[in-house]
Amino acid sequence: MKNRMLGVIDATTYHEDLEELTVHRSLAAVPFAGRYRLIDFVLSNMVNSDIESVAIFPKYQYRSLMDHLESGKNWDLNRKRDGLFFFPSPLLDSPSKGIGSFNHFAANLDYFYRSKQEYALISNCFTVFNMDFRPVLERHTKTGCDLTVIRQDGRSLEMYLVKTSLLINLIESRNETGYTCMNDVVTDIRHSFTICNYEYTGLAVMIGSIEMYYAASMGLLEPEAWKNIFKRSQPVYTKVKDEPPTRYVKGAKAHNSMIANGCMIEGVVENSIISRGVKIGKGSVVKNCIIMQKSQIGENCVLDSVILDKDVKVESGTKMEGTPEMPLVIRKGTVQGALMNS
Amino acid sequence: MGKKKCVAMLLAGGKGSRLSSLTKSLAKPAVPFGGKYRIIDFTLSNCTNSGIDTVGVLTQYQPLVLNSYIGIGSAWDLDRKNGGVTVLPPYSESSEVKWYTGTASAIYQNLNYLKQYDPEFVLILSGDHIYKMNYELMLNYHIEKGADATISVIEVPWPEASRFGIMNTAEGMRVAEFDEKPALPKNNLASMGIYIFNWSVLKEYLEMDDRNPESSHDFGKDIIPLMLDENKKLFAYPFNGYWKDVGTVKSLWEANMDLLDDECELNLFDHDWRIYSVNPNHPPQYISPDAEVAESLINEGCTIEGEVEKSVLFQGVFVGRGSVIRESVIMPDAVIGENVYIEKAIVPSGIKIPDGFVISASQEDEEITLITPEMLQGIC
Repeated sequence: MKNRMLGVIDATTYHEDLEELTVHRSLAAVPFAGRYRLIDFVLSNMVNSDIESVAIFPKYQYRSLMDHLESGKNWDLNRKRDGLFFFPSPLLDSPSKGIGSFNHFAANLDYFYRSKQEYALISNCFTVFNMDFRPVLERHTKTGCDLTVIRQDGRSLEMYLVKTSLLINLIESRNETGYTCMNDVVTDIRHSFTICNYEYTGLAVMIGSIEMYYAASMGLLEPEAWKNIFKRSQPVYTKVKDEPPTRYVKGAKAHNSMIANGCMIEGVVENSIISRGVKIGKGSVVKNCIIMQKSQIGENCVLDSVILDKDVKVESGTKMEGTPEMPLVIRKGTVQGALMNS
Repeated sequence: MGKKKCVAMLLAGGKGSRLSSLTKSLAKPAVPFGGKYRIIDFTLSNCTNSGIDTVGVLTQYQPLVLNSYIGIGSAWDLDRKNGGVTVLPPYSESSEVKWYTGTASAIYQNLNYLKQYDPEFVLILSGDHIYKMNYELMLNYHIEKGADATISVIEVPWPEASRFGIMNTAEGMRVAEFDEKPALPKNNLASMGIYIFNWSVLKEYLEMDDRNPESSHDFGKDIIPLMLDENKKLFAYPFNGYWKDVGTVKSLWEANMDLLDDECELNLFDHDWRIYSVNPNHPPQYISPDAEVAESLINEGCTIEGEVEKSVLFQGVFVGRGSVIRESVIMPDAVIGENVYIEKAIVPSGIKIPDGFVISASQEDEEITLITPEMLQGIC
């Protein structure tokens, strides 16, 4: 039977180690793999698992997230019944330490009261994976667990499946129990709930720092990895842009790279992830880089192990270099000149 | 329905027989073009970019692909509460089934569609051409001239003029005479099949034409000559820019190759005049460590492990190791095996080319090979 689960995405997480990329946007909206945002992975997985009602709980800098999600149309979530719900936190206190903050949910209890779906799948917003949640539900219902934690190699992926009624109980009794989030319940031994584990064997990368972000991005250049994330039967949906196909002009070269649409490649691209609408000028060499949307690289530049955020302009003749362990991150909308870095 | 100033009627029922097997199961406007588009995207995008939000799309030949592609028009922002896109297939009446026998009969049979919007002007378009045009400017011209009808024209090379419907113009671009494919052309202004009519005049002439048993019910052959005979005010609207009828395999290939030319006027990267299309969901293209890509247009969802040069690749194309693709157009989801050589060819959607297959261009003629499933039989 379809539509048995609610999808609940906690988009309140703030990772200090990702600050360079989250100054202007919430973690859920961090661009990934050339045309996606981190939230696309969990949201698409939910939709592909027959979830028709998804609630997103954001907190900081969520303008870019709202802009990305719009009405939910790209995920087929602009529905008359159910669909996409957006519940920004009314509390501006410090970030909660675990996924699924009961305080945050409490402000929107009506959503849980009104929903008819029997189960709720609660997830973080920063995992890159392509997972079918239906087998989790099947196992959960067969074994009669109260709470299932999705894990990989024993480590929690910070995704939980519970009955909606139990979730409501946990939210309502948070002051008495002292539980602030799902993980508090899982790690506590005083209660009588049956906690089960579901081991996920596919690829799943939780993005917690710039280094992990860079490594996970570069990892996608391995065919085994991208085949695991991008499956034709379970597509990753994202906001559609009407960009033309990417054009390679005379003198352009590309090797071992992932390149989105709307790019104009006049230089050389190697071991890189290039997002939509990027321009790489004549004589420029872009190696081991992540270049985000609409960044413009002039002529005769050399970039190695650099992450260019959106709308960065690199003037002709500029040289920039980081290392795979410490990629150089250039903030959104800045101008990089040849003189500044020489 | 609210009143509309201008309603567009887009003729999309053409068979495009010269496109051979490409139009075996879909209408010409649905033929893939330019790495991600279908031909009709250009006309529909022109409408939405020109501020025309009410478009009737007349379908007849093999409409399944086209119908599902157009959907409710959201790809072109034409899903509107008042107006938007409406697909208008032929239908039966109590007495008989009426197929669209000509361009004029297709519009005549949908007069009721137009009446709901009570427009001042009707724009007649064809879904067969690749071009970017602001119809609003043409409408302003039509109004300024005080015309009954305005026909968009483009200068064609004199030797080719006898292949087109030619407008012979008098002072101030008033149309004096219309020559359908003249043996000895007096002018080189060819009709682009784009007309703006005053609604009342159009209605009158379509009704008149329907009563004429001799008529072939065609705008070029019947309606325009009749209006000229009756001294109506017809003006030619000169269009300068890229315009191509991709009616043959060769011209379809050429128009795709034009996109790889820096000098080409048809700029797909112009954000002020985007060409909208239905976007299938594909990951970015993947260029493998051994792949070579040069002077090409490549869409999302492609996996390139071989060598691609001067080619246009649509979404979801796979090019295997050791394969070479040169000056070719590879349509959506085609799979090219390993060690394949393809030159000057069009590979249709979804075709699987077996390992080691070779298509090279013969040096004498400039023919383009359209690969068909029959050609591949017995190879794999």
